Amino acid sequence: MTQIERVIGDTLLKVENISLGFGGVQALSNISFDIKEHEIRAIIGPNGAGKTSMLNVINGFYHPQEGAITFKGEVRRTMRPHEAAKQGIARTFQNVALFKGMSTLDNIMTGRNLRMSRNIFWQMLYLGPARREEMEHRHRVEEIIDFLEIQAIRRVPVGKLPYGLQKRVELARALAMEPELLLLDEPMAGMNVEEKEDMCRFILDVNEQFGTTIALIEHDMGVVMDISDRVVVLDYGRKLADGTPDEVRGNQDVIDAYLGVPHDEGEA
Amino acid sequence: MLYREAGQFKTSYDTDQSIFPIRQDRWVIALYMAVAIFAVPLMINDYWANAVLLPLLIYAMAALGLNILVGYCGQISLGTGGFMAVGAFASFKLTTAFPELNLIIVLLLSGCITAAVGVLFGLPSLRIKGFYLAVATLASQFFLVWLFNKVEWFYNYNATGQITMPPRDVFGFQITGPEAKPAITYLFALGFIMIFGLIAKNIVRGRIGRMWMAIRDMDIAAELIGVRPLMAKMSAFAVSSFYIGVAGGLYFTVWLGAAEVTEAFDINQSFLVLFMVIVGGLGSILGSFLGAAFLVLMPILLKNFMVDWLGVAAVTAKHVEITLMGVLIIFFLIVEPHGFARLWQILKEKLRLWPFPY
Amino acid sequence: MSDSLLYFIEVTIGGLLAGVMYSLVALGFVLIFKASGIFNFAQGVMALFAALTLVGLMEKLGVPAWVAIIMTVGVMILLAWLIERMVLQHLVNQDPIILFMATIGLAYVLEGIGDLMWGSDVKVLNVGLPDGAVDWLYDFNIYVTKLELVAAATAALLVAVLAIFFQKTRIGRALRAVADDHQAALSVGISLRTIWVIVWSVSGIVALVAGIMWGSSSGVQFSLSLIALKALPVLILGGFTSIPGAILGGLIIGVGEKWAEIYLGEYIGYAIENWFAYVLALAFLLIRPQGLFGEKIIERV
Repeated sequence: MTQIERVIGDTLLKVENISLGFGGVQALSNISFDIKEHEIRAIIGPNGAGKTSMLNVINGFYHPQEGAITFKGEVRRTMRPHEAAKQGIARTFQNVALFKGMSTLDNIMTGRNLRMSRNIFWQMLYLGPARREEMEHRHRVEEIIDFLEIQAIRRVPVGKLPYGLQKRVELARALAMEPELLLLDEPMAGMNVEEKEDMCRFILDVNEQFGTTIALIEHDMGVVMDISDRVVVLDYGRKLADGTPDEVRGNQDVIDAYLGVPHDEGEA
Repeated sequence: MLYREAGQFKTSYDTDQSIFPIRQDRWVIALYMAVAIFAVPLMINDYWANAVLLPLLIYAMAALGLNILVGYCGQISLGTGGFMAVGAFASFKLTTAFPELNLIIVLLLSGCITAAVGVLFGLPSLRIKGFYLAVATLASQFFLVWLFNKVEWFYNYNATGQITMPPRDVFGFQITGPEAKPAITYLFALGFIMIFGLIAKNIVRGRIGRMWMAIRDMDIAAELIGVRPLMAKMSAFAVSSFYIGVAGGLYFTVWLGAAEVTEAFDINQSFLVLFMVIVGGLGSILGSFLGAAFLVLMPILLKNFMVDWLGVAAVTAKHVEITLMGVLIIFFLIVEPHGFARLWQILKEKLRLWPFPY
Repeated sequence: MSDSLLYFIEVTIGGLLAGVMYSLVALGFVLIFKASGIFNFAQGVMALFAALTLVGLMEKLGVPAWVAIIMTVGVMILLAWLIERMVLQHLVNQDPIILFMATIGLAYVLEGIGDLMWGSDVKVLNVGLPDGAVDWLYDFNIYVTKLELVAAATAALLVAVLAIFFQKTRIGRALRAVADDHQAALSVGISLRTIWVIVWSVSGIVALVAGIMWGSSSGVQFSLSLIALKALPVLILGGFTSIPGAILGGLIIGVGEKWAEIYLGEYIGYAIENWFAYVLALAFLLIRPQGLFGEKIIERV
């Protein structure tokens, strides 16, 4: 595969003044930031900062009370998740949302679902168009399987795989959607050093070879500083900082948030 | 195993996806089919057809349908009896209103009608899940039975409320009615099952099957992949109800010949088919067949054993049968929730290595 | 007072009292669901089984009613222990749907065994509950039986006792913990097995009470187990985890059915009672899936 020279493009996604609350809890308050095409954008912050909620808003799972999202030039506030998928947004989850009853191959094939259209009558016969379509997509899926080096576990029911591999399969499924924007929610949680390095390499490869824009929630600061182009920092649902990794690293507010400087008197 | 599968490599994705990837498996299946098509009709008689083979085939069809809904798409339904009734009554009305209409067409149309009814009663599944959905399907079960009792048009104003199948022939062969030969009736039913069994297998190994399984496993994630829950669930209800409707049609036209709705299609029927699906294996085409076979044969064997051999009263045998069914369900749920289909797979694995233990 | 108004009152009271009967069965469901997360399809059959055992003991052993009742309580406790040992223990932390189907199997087993032990013909149950119509209401042309009033009073008493049990006692709290999360409850040292035996025993006793009430009014027969199916709409209305909900749901279903039968019956056709409750429940599910009092389930990704 050729190495594409990475050029950061224009704004692909912009969130403006997003506020989201559940009953008495305000998950997000007035968040605004943008993500440029082909970049790797990290979203970081202490636990409970609202990072996952932010991703959920972007891909239509939560509907914010205020604010607007602009994706590829179109402005909207809410959207159904499968529309977001259709528009080219894919994502992975903190708790691995794979289809546990199916094999690795089948799971990844579901990612091709939007692109497969042969109706039920052809499916019944499994001849002609349905079969060709199936093989075509199988081919693409196999390319992804090669790319992520998971050939050996093709037929294994996903529920039986170790956590690290499950996360890789989930990434494969997201890639199968050929997304323009890929949202990754703690893709390296629970992995050891080797697994993290592998995952890092894959993420960078995806960005470089396919040009996919990536928004990444991650706790490992080393990873964040290493691979991201720009970083957004959230805390208690508010945006603390926004800039390149170096800029953010030196920001006093960010340091305070992470090290836990007393917010009120008497609190440690 | 009696034959080894080593050395059979797949060189294209196409052959990798085939139903029977191992060459010898294909021979075995071909053998079964040959026996079923050619040998059985020569040996069949009225008893075997009516007591064993016809119910087995028909219930297999119903179990296939229910398995699609419950096992593949994860939507629980206790309305199977009611839907079989729809199929039966649709067949009855169609064939009495259009006597010239080919029985095959009648049955297919009945299936379509049941599919439409199924989609209607399946709409609640868009809002509710799990046993709430089970209760909603009970609504359809009780309502349909009441409907077919109450509205006399359905049984052509017959005083007894019963529907009876008039004699019909297909391409010159008498299928229903007193003249019908058991071999012909058997082959008719067999034809349906074989074709629709293959169709079911084809559907579930493709895009639509995966869509159903995605909804079953994690419907939230499915939506995020781009699966529309409406399409997935309604298609599952439609296809499932089609199968169950055709099964109900066959049940009435080809097997019973006469039926009264509260007896033939009550809630016990719903449970029976559900048990077949559980015991056979949720989410398995083969399992549907195995479960149907088991739950059709078991009462017969039990009755023969207890009544004929041990001289127990028939009523008592019935009670034992009920108890045994319950025990078996519990047993399977504890030991192997994936039913006979999984046990069969495990057996094959073990035989593959036999006589070595591992 | 006009005749039709009196008739309306009679129908309504009849509905309320029938509803109380449903509530009794629903109570048993709620207990088990609240404490073990299992939807016990066999609850109705348990009521039948309890009633069968009671009658059987009274006939075969000739003991007075109250002795037979105590013995039956013992039988139900034994049954609870057996169920825990042979079924529940092996299904810890399985999918709820698997547990539900196991209870369907259980229903069949109990039905079969009940029939084998005591025979399947209809039996008369007489435990000395008062008989006949309530006199002073009868003077107003309203026909209500004393039995129905006793049933209502018993149900009220049961509810009060159970509510206190759940809220105030240590065991009640443990039961609620188990309902929430089996594994978490285990990890704080709650003995799942003991809890389950307790719950199923209590549920069995509630089933016995329901069985006595139903059996006294319409004889002990197989159709008793079908009451279980009727209890499902009750639970949907009231919410699966709420005791007051079970009562209220039962009353609504009972009254609703009677009203539908009498007043809608002439237009749609009779025997609406067979399915009206389910359609009502279905309508409820679509509007408010968690019932009147149930807890809303929020799924997190």
